[in-house]
This record gives sequence, C-alpha cells and structure tokens, in this order.
Amino acid sequence: MFDVIVKGGLVVDGTGAPAFTGDVAVKDGRIAAVGKVEGEARQVVDAAGRVVAPGFIDPHTHFDVQLLWDGAARPALEHGVTTIVPGNCSLSLAPLKAADRRRVVGMFQQIEEMPPEAFTTAFEWSWEDFAGYVAAIRKGLSINVAPLVGHSVIRLWVMGNASQERAATPDEIAAMQDLLRECLDAGAVGLSTSFVDVDENGRPVPSRFAQFEELDALCAVLGEYGRMLQCVPEFYATDITIARIDQLAELSLKHNIPTTFSPLFDTAAVPDNAPRAIARVEEHFARGARVWPQMQTRPIDISFSLLRPSLFFARLPRWVRILRQPLDERLAALRDPETADKMVADLGPDGGEQMMGRLVVRGGDAAPSELVGKTLSEIAAARGEVPARALINLSLEHGLDVAFLSASQGHQLTDRIGPMLAHPLVHIGASDGGAHLASFATYGDTGYLFSEFVRKGRYLSLEKAVAKVTSETADIWGLKDRGRLAEGLAADIVVFDADNIDRGAELPSFDMPGDGMRYVRAARGVDTVLVNGEVAYSSGAYTQSRSGVICA
Amino acid sequence: MPLTRQRRFVTPGPDETVEELALRALPGEPLEAAVDRIKSWNLHIFAMRKPAGLLLGSDVVFVEPPVG
Repeated sequence: MFDVIVKGGLVVDGTGAPAFTGDVAVKDGRIAAVGKVEGEARQVVDAAGRVVAPGFIDPHTHFDVQLLWDGAARPALEHGVTTIVPGNCSLSLAPLKAADRRRVVGMFQQIEEMPPEAFTTAFEWSWEDFAGYVAAIRKGLSINVAPLVGHSVIRLWVMGNASQERAATPDEIAAMQDLLRECLDAGAVGLSTSFVDVDENGRPVPSRFAQFEELDALCAVLGEYGRMLQCVPEFYATDITIARIDQLAELSLKHNIPTTFSPLFDTAAVPDNAPRAIARVEEHFARGARVWPQMQTRPIDISFSLLRPSLFFARLPRWVRILRQPLDERLAALRDPETADKMVADLGPDGGEQMMGRLVVRGGDAAPSELVGKTLSEIAAARGEVPARALINLSLEHGLDVAFLSASQGHQLTDRIGPMLAHPLVHIGASDGGAHLASFATYGDTGYLFSEFVRKGRYLSLEKAVAKVTSETADIWGLKDRGRLAEGLAADIVVFDADNIDRGAELPSFDMPGDGMRYVRAARGVDTVLVNGEVAYSSGAYTQSRSGVICA
Repeated sequence: MPLTRQRRFVTPGPDETVEELALRALPGEPLEAAVDRIKSWNLHIFAMRKPAGLLLGSDVVFVEPPVG
C-alpha cells in the first residue's frame, strides 16, 4: 500500500528527459515508483492532463524571519516551490547574540526592506546560535529549508563593533572559522557574503570590511564540507562584477567549492553587462572552477508610496533620509516648503521628468480613481507642476497613501533574457523571495519562467525549464536528495497545468505582522504540491501538513 | 584554457591608505599622480561611496583604465 499515487500525469522527471505519461507513487515521504504503477494508495491525486514534476527549488530568498511564523513561506509554496534557500547576501538570523539583534534587524530593514514589526510582534527570540534558529523554525515547516549562514553576522558575533571598522586579526579569523564549522554542522548549506550592502545608517555591512584573506580562510572551511559560497557583487558595474567572478573562481578552484553570485541583470543601459559576465564564467568553468551566475526571470518593477522607504529612491539620499523618519516627522518635512524645494531640486533641472515621469498611479489605495493608470508626467502637467513636486503634493493630499509603479526598470527584454536563461551555466534564481516587501512581489518567478520563456518565447522546452529549477539547482547546491522524480528520493512533487501555469497579478496584501503591507502574486495553474510525500497545497488551499525539513 | 585579459585590480591591505595603495600599485609614478589615477579609475569608491574614499578590505581597486 502506497501513501500517495499521483496518477496519469505527464511526468517531467527533472532530468531534462522527454516527458511521458505515467504515475508517481510515494511511500514514507519518498518516491517509491515512477512509471506505470500498480497497487493501492491511501490517497490518489488525479493528474490527468497535468504535468507532474519535482518541486521547484528557489536558491535566493530572505524568508529567514517569515519562517518563524509562516512555515510555508507563503505564497512561495503555492507556486510549486518546495525548497528555499534563505540567509543570502551576508545576512541570517543566526548566529546572533541578543545584544546585536537590533543591529541586524536594522540591516534587514535597510537591505531587504522588511518592516520592524516583522521582528518584534510575531515571534519570540529564543536562540543565539545557528542550531537554535534551526530548531525555532523546524517545528512549523511545510516547505523545505536549506539555510545559508551570513558572513556579516559571523563577523559581528566574533568582532562586535569592530566588525564594521577594521580587518580581522588571525585569532578572530580562526574564531570565525570555528563558528562557521558550528553553523555547517547545525545545517547550514553554505556561507553568504556581500560586497555592496549598507546598514540602516549607511555604513557598509560587516562582510565588506573583510580582507580577501578572511574570505579565503572561511572558504577553506566550506571546502572541508564541500559547501557553497554565495555573494552579491557590484552588479551595477560590469568590470567589478568580472573582478568578483575572478575572485570566486580562485576560491572555487583552491577549495573545491561551488560559488554563486546574484543577481546578474540584463540592462539596456549596459547591453554587454550580462554577456560579458557569462563569457567570463564560461572561461572559468573551462578551467574547472564553479561560478554560477544567478539570473531572475522577472523584469524589475518597483512600486512605492511615501508611506515607507523604498529602494526606488536609493540614489536620492535626502529622500531616503526623510522617508525613513516617523510618520509625523515625515509629514512635517514634506509639508515644509524649504525641504520640499530641496527634494525637488535633487531631481535636477527637469524636476524629475526623466526619473519619475513614467511612474504610473497603481490604484487600490487612497489615490483618486480618475488618476489610476495615468503617468506622473500627465498628472504633473495637468497640475502645472514638475513631476517630483506633483508626487509630493499628490501624496500629501491623500495621507501619503498613493502608490506608484515604476515598471520595467530593467531586465525586461524577453528576447535577450530567454537565451541567457537557457544557457547551461546560468543558474535560474535571484528571486529575493520574502524581501523588498513593499517594492515588488518576489513570488511567482517560476510561473513566469513557464509562461514567458517556455510557452510564449519558446526559449526553453518544458523539460529543460523544469530541469533548470529542479535537478540542476539541486546539483549546484549539493542537495542530493531532491530535484528529480526518481525512486528513493524525497517526494517533493508539483502538479501543474502546462498551459496555464503563471504568476498572478501583483497585488497589495496586508498579511504581515502588525497588518504590514507587502506585494504578492498568487499562483496560477498549480494544482497540488507535495512536500516530503505529504500534500501541502491543493486546489487553491494550504493544508495542515508540516512535512518540511531542514535539508542538506 | 587561458583567461582573456581583463582589467587589473588589487584589494587594499589592512589599514592601507589610498596613498600607500597607489605607491604599491603604480610604483615609479609620482605619488600625487598615482593617487589621482587610482581615484579616477575607481569612482565606485572615490565618488559614489559615502563617505567618499572609505577604503574597505573587500574592495576591488582597479589599477588601470578600462580595457579597450
């Protein structure tokens, strides 16, 4: 007697092999048979007319805090994602001393745009070490978690305030090595570092103060375990990205470890950026190094209102400073004519036409309905104002609750990105799941892969696209138990409609702690998701299953 | 397979100043000229960063202009 049989579907087994009609049987959380399965099961999932594939693996997320109150990492799981990698970009929630919590929360708020309530109202901090964090999330998981440990928090644990001031001493580096070993023993699948991020005070995060020798020493430890180094490079400058690729290749070869960097964007402003980076990666792979560039599928769309800080204003320090003030002070600043004049002046002589003119009023908030869908340029012209002034005044007139959309800021050219996603050395990832909550939805990138690049653009076959986000990802990360529909492997399975799988519309949702807002996208075309053999999502609803594990 | 030539760079030593780095990276050049060159080739450190010129241990510091 099997536990589950997924019956009569189009089996896409994750290896890239041609699809075939068949069944997948599950017993004790494992795949027991694939093909024409005879026998009974306690539960039968009718997959006729549907694809049956391994669960998708998302290698770049920031669900670290959400997992403490939501073990499904909603809505990631309903998109067919059965394994996530949190702890990217040098930030994780462990190891972290109690005295340093506020500092790291500030980094998460600044870098990943998470509301403070997410860290203060939804759970109790019960851990300091990595094993304690793993224990805190493990009990409620319905999705699998393969966590990275952050270089910045390791450095902070060992060096305290000096972690953001100076190079480490040999003794401190040795202590970091020991701490990294402890984290790897407790379930970490690798180390993440950052070369670009700053904290809430604009100070570079601790990992950026590390000499290359420190990173090299930590990678020696990764080499003992054969584990991953992830980094976020200076993706805005091609020469620096290539220098980082060279450093990663050196570390990969020296310590025999896989490395990955994310994100790699395609941008019309620098059209040779991604092609040059990929060409450099090809050279290093030919030498035996493993440097996997992660590329996201979705275009860069950013939404914002003046109710909260947004990365849209990242290059406008005065705006960032004002929008990070408490609401009363922020309103006072925006209402102050002298301050507003300076903010408008920051945009240059065109008053923000180039940067803000194409913004569109989203709607669904306090925005007047007649303005929804109009560009800020149109609205400003009607008001007799420049765009930056119109943005400030329109927001003030409606309690700041007017959301604007900056669509397709980059990475939106399907005919350029499709071939790159299909490239054998490009790792599909970089979703940033669980981060940038009020700027864009970080969910549904796999649905978009199938709708835009398989069905519409035909840059990848169905089988190849599935392999990219299952077996290839599992192999890159050394997740030996997952990524394929094969006898004996963990039964992570997604059943979806190949003709309809997609990401839904981007909508605001007030489901964060403290009624905090985030943008989400619901799944389309995903029928059933099994995690370790249990149905975790079916027919549009999450089940009570808690079968997710910490996986290595 | 040999690597194609890319723009050369160094990383700063512990507590190394831009003057010390310039002397190390561009030996034989007058100090002022060497510093000016380093700064002009590394706007990500000397123009875009706040505070400008804060050298970090992890920095990529180019020691030549972009490769044509």
